[in-house]
Amino acid sequence: MEISMKDDSESNKKKGLSRRGFIQSVAAGGAALGLDWTLGKQTEARTVQKNTICITVNGRPYELGIGNQAGEVAESQTLVQTLRDVLGLTGTKTCCDRGECGSCTVLLDGKAVLSCSTLTVACDGKEVLTIEGLKDPVTGALHPVQQAFVEHDAIQCGMCTPGLVMSATALLKANQSPTEYEVREGISGNLCRCTGYVKYVEAVQTAAKRIRGGGNG
Amino acid sequence: MKTFKHVNAKTTAEACTIMEKYKGQAKLIAGGMDLVGSLKDEIMPDYPQMVVNIKTIPGLDYVREDAGVLKIGALTKLSDIASSDVLKKRYQSLQQAAHAVASPQIRNMATIGGNLCQNVRCWYYRSPNSLGGRVFCLRKGGDTCYAQNGDNRYHAILKGGPCFAVYPSDTAVALTALKAKIVTARPRGGRTIPIGKLYTQTGTILESDEMVKGIEIPKPKEGAQEKFIKFRLRSALDFAIVSVATVLVKEGEVCKEATIALGGVAPVPLRATKAEELIKGKPVNQEIVERVALTALEDAEPLSMNAYKVEIAKTCIKRAFLT
Repeated sequence: MEISMKDDSESNKKKGLSRRGFIQSVAAGGAALGLDWTLGKQTEARTVQKNTICITVNGRPYELGIGNQAGEVAESQTLVQTLRDVLGLTGTKTCCDRGECGSCTVLLDGKAVLSCSTLTVACDGKEVLTIEGLKDPVTGALHPVQQAFVEHDAIQCGMCTPGLVMSATALLKANQSPTEYEVREGISGNLCRCTGYVKYVEAVQTAAKRIRGGGNG
Repeated sequence: MKTFKHVNAKTTAEACTIMEKYKGQAKLIAGGMDLVGSLKDEIMPDYPQMVVNIKTIPGLDYVREDAGVLKIGALTKLSDIASSDVLKKRYQSLQQAAHAVASPQIRNMATIGGNLCQNVRCWYYRSPNSLGGRVFCLRKGGDTCYAQNGDNRYHAILKGGPCFAVYPSDTAVALTALKAKIVTARPRGGRTIPIGKLYTQTGTILESDEMVKGIEIPKPKEGAQEKFIKFRLRSALDFAIVSVATVLVKEGEVCKEATIALGGVAPVPLRATKAEELIKGKPVNQEIVERVALTALEDAEPLSMNAYKVEIAKTCIKRAFLT
């Protein structure tokens, strides 16, 4: 991973390590060691102690200390906060933060849920799948739903998109031949202010066809 | 959001004991679909010190028929109720009600116990503390209902007062028509409460150390027809403007007995008992059903902005019987 420090003017050059430089070097160091920059620790499954929880995100287990000290996850922290601010997985969005818009949708043990309304501390032992975890881990190919969204030009600003992709993925896992009504119902928990949903619905139907035909769904 | 202690309860006894110990300073969390939003907005004057997770209590997630009684555990997710095979032939009004709630994601997390205990959606009650301070309305212990003389377009047209918010639960309306009973757990012994007695004008009769454990629904009579209608502006996410649940037993074209429950019109789910008496023994035709709808709404006292609900409620009742 290439990190570059952009510093436009000579007079702004400071001696020593700026805060931004420190954060970037930690990230670079973490990446170099094969760990994502995170306040948690990547770990193999082992007996979890009282004040830690273990959640698996996109196939990788993370052990998180629970508490109010620096570097710990507070009991009141929501899953979306942990995903974005602790684990650096910013694909999942926080738009309304009130459980009304669906932009924070992730799959928790295979079910579409609102991560803004889920307490991280209650996810001990659970598996989370975010938008970052959808692509083929070997080939890097997009998931059929993602690919169809791109081909159908369904995306405008992109803010609703990760949540919509996760809801559509969950829908197609449960129902590989949804009618148009069932598609609309399946994504009814995801609001989009840009598009009017038409191309999203068509794209989900395209993805369904491909998944039925043997694509990875 | 502001922090709190969190504990995973392993039994109902443990959960209730913690609630008792914290004397109102603890809250139960199941799906969290109501609680988390309420805590983020700090709508209540007290913030809990402790949040008790009851999702970790085993054995409260079930849908089963047991000697002619349908039993549902309080922790059963709405999505499971919406897709359960047990509810496809009988109790479909409950299945339809569960399916009508919110969105797929919310149904995946929300439990029926939580749906039955949720707080009202009145926009004065729900006003966030961050925008100029929360509204300390009558329902929270203050002395004014701001909706009564304010923007009351979504508020009660029947049995309103002193609080005029409407009870928002769809499953409560279906369960009221099905004459369900609510089974609770409590340190000094739980109780079985007929759903008609569960709700008050400002909340429920549940004590601060009491939790809902399960729901029991007697088997409807053979051939009973169940209907659940939810009128709202959007096809998803919206709460009901008006909802109606009916259970109708006919002999030929004549009604032997009927139950009619109304939602979105009063601070509690309402049984339209006078209308139920009216239709008993009469043919279920246009003329009689018109009178049923009129009778069910004859005591309506609309506020300044919600009279439109009266006609919608009448139409929903007619649709429930005639379509």
